[in-house]
Amino acid sequence: VPDAALRCRYVLCEVVSEDPRCRQCIEDRAVGLAVRDAIGRVHGDFGLACCSISFTVKYLNAYTGTVLLRCRKDSYRLLCSALPFVRQLESRNQRYPCFLNTLHVGGTIRTCQKFLIEYNRRQLLMLLQSCTNEEERRCVQKSLLSCSLTEEQCLSGNEDDDDDGTDTD
Amino acid sequence: MAGFSDLNIPQGPDKKSMQGLLETAAHLGYSAVALNHVIDFKEKKQEIIKPVSPSELFPSLPVVQGTSKRIKVLTRLTLVISDPSHCNLLRSTSPNIRLYDIIAVFPKTEKLFHIACTTLDVDLVCINVTEKLPFYFRRPPVNVAIDRGIYFELLYTPAIKDSTMRRYTISNAISLMQICKGKNIVVSSAAERPLELRGPYDVANLGLLFGLSEGEAKAAVSTNCRAAMLHGETRKSACGIVYTLKKPRKVEEEETLPACKKAKTQA
Repeated sequence: VPDAALRCRYVLCEVVSEDPRCRQCIEDRAVGLAVRDAIGRVHGDFGLACCSISFTVKYLNAYTGTVLLRCRKDSYRLLCSALPFVRQLESRNQRYPCFLNTLHVGGTIRTCQKFLIEYNRRQLLMLLQSCTNEEERRCVQKSLLSCSLTEEQCLSGNEDDDDDGTDTD
Repeated sequence: MAGFSDLNIPQGPDKKSMQGLLETAAHLGYSAVALNHVIDFKEKKQEIIKPVSPSELFPSLPVVQGTSKRIKVLTRLTLVISDPSHCNLLRSTSPNIRLYDIIAVFPKTEKLFHIACTTLDVDLVCINVTEKLPFYFRRPPVNVAIDRGIYFELLYTPAIKDSTMRRYTISNAISLMQICKGKNIVVSSAAERPLELRGPYDVANLGLLFGLSEGEAKAAVSTNCRAAMLHGETRKSACGIVYTLKKPRKVEEEETLPACKKAKTQA
């Protein structure tokens, strides 16, 4: 079990935008820059310096707009309080207005994953209710049935530097 | 548990954009929102018109994320008062005022702030976040307001839009916190477009910037909003005695509990 000082927090967010083309900007660099910029604007140099320790965009899904950020446990409050100030994503000279909706903060990638699977399942359920034909219904139902934790191979990867901590607030 | 609410969504002329706002709010997890109609007495003679009926304006309300209920839409009236004569409208028994679910007042001077906290029959007192406060808060009127079940409202959209506004919002909020100790605070958006909204978790985090503790910040988006809504209901029904809604049995239950307890038991 790693040092208490090296404990991290994983912040799961969703990118919400009006323009579907915003999805193109959902990539590590663009998201990382937008978040760092917001931290700098709100908390100044001190905040930016604190949050940069171990800060990284751990996972992205451009189709669902899901983003997983990691930072040190000591600075997650600085990070979380700056997230509402992200107003746009910029990539390859294209910028689109958007905002980040914080879904969950966890101590490990696994807890965030479990949350995300549940969240996606709920979204699919709501989608199911608004399906207009049988074909759509079958596709959505199939996706629903495949929602389970065993599909985590894609995310488990560099967990060596992460701890086994419990869920937070 | 009390759901999340946003008590300030300015009422705009465009039905489609209002629908977009509601859909985003529902997606973010807000169980209730209040459509705000603002009246500023500084402008030429204003009349208080009847509130719009949400069911007419929005034929289909979106379902709230994480629940199976539809989003609840309330009506709110905000009176911007800069002169004591403006208060007469509130004191008169204008029939249209009673039709609103929530009444808020935005006092522009220290005297009016005092009057709003101690005597006016309102649910919310708005705190200026876009300019330096023209007066300092004093403990006596704030404590009276807290005892009367009135809540102080802070907006967050100006802080997100502009850095100068951010500074005013944080200074004004913190100076209020020092007097009221974090009690009776409600944080709302005043969002005119869907991209100006933020999720309840994020708004609670903004509350931390405004000087609230974690518990107080969460309450500012959930239980305090619920309590302000209930305060509005008791005002509408003449002290909880006469209910014009078709819920006769609930009247007795509502009467016996004071407003602050209602918010907790309503969970």
